[in-house]
Amino acid sequence: MRKLLPYLLLIPTFFVIISFIYIPAFNSFKMSFFRENKFGTKTIYVGLDNFKKVLFDPEYLQIAGFTLLYVGLTVLITIFLAFLLALLLNKNVPGTYIYRALIFIPYAVSPAIAGSLWTFLLDPVAGHVNYFFTNIFGTQIAWLTTRPYAFYALLFATVWKMIPFSLIFYIAGLQSISNDLLESATLDGANAFTKTWKIKFPLVSPITFYLVIMNIINAMFKSFAIIDVMTKGGPGGYTSTMMYKVYLDAFSYQKTGPASAQSVVMFMIMAIVTVVYFVYGERHVHYG
Amino acid sequence: MYMKTRKRIDTIFTEIILIIISLIVFAPLLLAITISFQTPDSVFSYPPKLFPTTFYFNNYINAFKAIPFARLLLNSAIIAVAITFGKVISGILAGYAFANFKFFGKRFTFAFLFATLFLPAETIMIVPLFLIMNQLGWVNTYWALTIPFMASATNAFLFRQHFQTFPAELEDAAKIDGAGPMKYFLKILLPLSKSMIAGVVIINFVYSWNMYLWPMIVSMEDKMKTVQVGVKMLISGEGTNNWGVIMAGTLIAVLPTVIVFLSLQNLFVKSLVRSGVKG
Amino acid sequence: MKKFFVILLIVSLLVTLGTAKTKIQFWHAMSGWRIELLQNMANDFMEQNPDIEVEVQYTGSYQDTLNKLIAAIKAGTPPNVVQVFEVGTQSIIDGGIAVPMQDMIDKDPSFDIAALLPQVLNYYVVNGKLYSMPFNSSNAIMFYNKTMFEEAGLDPTKPPATYEELMEACKALTKKDANGNIIKSGITWNLHSWFFEQMLALQDAPLVNNNNGRTAPPTKALLNNEAGLKFVKLWKELSDNDYMVNTKKEDWTGARKLFLSQSVGMLITSTSDVSAIMDGAKENGFDVSAAFLPTPADSPQGGIVIGGGSLWMIDGNPDDEMEATWEFVKFMSETKQQIAWHKGTGYFPVRKDAITQLLNEGYYSEYPDHMVAILQLLFSKQNYNTNGAIMGIFPEFRNTFEDNIEKMLNGRMTPEQVLENTEETATELLEEYNELY
Repeated sequence: MRKLLPYLLLIPTFFVIISFIYIPAFNSFKMSFFRENKFGTKTIYVGLDNFKKVLFDPEYLQIAGFTLLYVGLTVLITIFLAFLLALLLNKNVPGTYIYRALIFIPYAVSPAIAGSLWTFLLDPVAGHVNYFFTNIFGTQIAWLTTRPYAFYALLFATVWKMIPFSLIFYIAGLQSISNDLLESATLDGANAFTKTWKIKFPLVSPITFYLVIMNIINAMFKSFAIIDVMTKGGPGGYTSTMMYKVYLDAFSYQKTGPASAQSVVMFMIMAIVTVVYFVYGERHVHYG
Repeated sequence: MYMKTRKRIDTIFTEIILIIISLIVFAPLLLAITISFQTPDSVFSYPPKLFPTTFYFNNYINAFKAIPFARLLLNSAIIAVAITFGKVISGILAGYAFANFKFFGKRFTFAFLFATLFLPAETIMIVPLFLIMNQLGWVNTYWALTIPFMASATNAFLFRQHFQTFPAELEDAAKIDGAGPMKYFLKILLPLSKSMIAGVVIINFVYSWNMYLWPMIVSMEDKMKTVQVGVKMLISGEGTNNWGVIMAGTLIAVLPTVIVFLSLQNLFVKSLVRSGVKG
Repeated sequence: MKKFFVILLIVSLLVTLGTAKTKIQFWHAMSGWRIELLQNMANDFMEQNPDIEVEVQYTGSYQDTLNKLIAAIKAGTPPNVVQVFEVGTQSIIDGGIAVPMQDMIDKDPSFDIAALLPQVLNYYVVNGKLYSMPFNSSNAIMFYNKTMFEEAGLDPTKPPATYEELMEACKALTKKDANGNIIKSGITWNLHSWFFEQMLALQDAPLVNNNNGRTAPPTKALLNNEAGLKFVKLWKELSDNDYMVNTKKEDWTGARKLFLSQSVGMLITSTSDVSAIMDGAKENGFDVSAAFLPTPADSPQGGIVIGGGSLWMIDGNPDDEMEATWEFVKFMSETKQQIAWHKGTGYFPVRKDAITQLLNEGYYSEYPDHMVAILQLLFSKQNYNTNGAIMGIFPEFRNTFEDNIEKMLNGRMTPEQVLENTEETATELLEEYNELY
């Protein structure tokens, strides 16, 4: 019984992931060697052509570069700000409950809605952000349609949406650091800076480790809805990510072959990133 | 005395930063609330308003008239509850298997599960998953909107981490008292995991309530649409000028998750603390 | 949960068994108040035809609707009648999934095709066959804020008719503060390839070869011509001088918002917005009028291409449903429905007698702006260039063009490069497409 039990426990999960993730993923892999018309009435085998088209397309390489920048920056900024905010919120100053509630709220908002709310705020002429900018700095910016501001706007909205998730984990992580440890550090003459970065941050490194990978996945795959609503990958493809391109090819143009090839490429990249991250990262994680 | 003033300055400083950040973070929703209560002729008034100046509730009534919100809310609720329920149970079972058992293929199965995180789920959905739903005859049904999402690597992972924090002695003690692994699981582990479950419930509920692309693809008819699709219907309405109605609709869509989230957030944080997320 | 599904199943079974009605599904892409308008028409139809039940489904934007149609075809559960946008015409013909409307018309002497506007038919007739039933047709017109015109010292009865006049008017309308920030600007249209396509046809220039794809499937894009260059250059010049505010891609609502908030004095958009713009102007307290699209003073005169959508009968449904669908499609093109639809939206009627009746009723003396698009269409020369291009790659073509325009507006492409690159990419896309059919 004890031998069999773990397998039984895994049945529901594996039933779902095999039927609804692995089998379709395998079909998608198969499709990457074919091209098909919209209604699926004609399919031709193209070998590695779909991959070649992707990998030798300067535009795609530019998209890949932008993806790297976008994912890298959103994850870094999110982690950093979430940690700092968690420090502030753990000081338990009066009103913390309200601040925490307000800062958590973006978590509950869907990416598409988040995108449309920011679009409204960033309206070039009638929007609040530009009203503020014109009055304080005397400049007016077309946030969503010009370089590099479209990128900044997107970065801001994505980080806005992503912070709460990391914040929750950091708040909890910081609360579980024992006070004795910090007090003894104070007695040893450690200042606030040292306490924060030499003691607290390393102590929550397992959380950071987990959050980095989860945030990479989020920024890589889930962000296309925000992009679709806010910039549509523009101006001129400047803010297109790999995922957004897949979404366009698969959903808007029904080019299943090229879209599948791109998915395979993305999976490979994610697999490499993860393996490297685990091999290198695990060594640096400080398990308290 | 010196320490006390420093502490006070520190507190005031923290308060100020937190107030500014809360305001920035909350601004989009505040704006949505403001606009949802403006009469149609005052939406564009310049300078733009930050707080409501009128209380025009008609926008909410009109939002309910523009799209069948009642039905959409019901659909979203059914779907979110069903997915959450299924996902939490499958996650608990898998987490328990990975945390408390040694079995052949454990490393492989775990890696196999974890790897799903790196598949771009959305692309898989658009064509291949749709075709599978089609073969099953599930297109345009609740099945298609729920069953494929009833398990995930994240849930299994979170529960594995959680169950690993219970000392092995606990299970040994239970064994001595004659409790088998299932009894130990049901009578001891689960009751001790209530707050962790609450936390995962929040994550899953928010996730499934906010699902967007898949319902767009698989629900062909009004009776199967979700609130997110409804809001998209309001926003992309090529003939819509009425921002008040759009924002009212948006807020209706956001409200359930905000309520679930805020009412359970304390429990959630506590559960994470207790489960010792740090390691 | 399970119980719920079982009950749901039983109830739906009972409902289907209890009625001997022929049920047909109508999918459309009209949002907002137009959903109700269409539902009312369907209700009227069901009253007249008690044995037919029409299920009206709003299936999202045009693109979403087309995607859903493709999915439903693959699923083997096609709807009966679908509203598809004009640029989807070639895709659906190539897919071979629809019954050409011509086949139904040939069998039914009660339907007189000559009652429809020839300018509209010219778009939907391909290879001498009418493929879909014209339903909601539009074209692009220019709205202008008369109040702002007066404030800027412009004659509110003389909207700009040429590119040159447009430039002057925009200059007069644009106001900046001491820091050079725009307070008011001249014009906007949303960043959409449709306006480019319209402007090409207005100057009697083609978009693709094989007579705009009308004598054979197109194999090459031909848009890199003088007409195209004139418009793209105008776009750049207006934007560089801040006479124009640009939106992001295909942001109809964003452009309308700029106009209704009186941030810009003119708006080029679809005539289907006319009711919404008139109401919006009243709410925001300014006077508005509609005008023809401007053209370059020295260009050959062409004409406008119709936009909007039409109704397609999808193949693969049982015969009785096909018959019922044909009845419904016919009904939707009748005078009464076309008038109601025109009044409620701004899409113009696709029937001659609908226009005559409205004229006799004095409708246009009260709502002259509803007539602008009709006149613009009737004044259009009819040839392959103004019948409009058809090709299977329209969504991608538009995206390519719009990407390039965005690059131009950000100073990374010249107008010449925009046209060159769009033409090249479109030709490649056409080649790829043709391999698959």
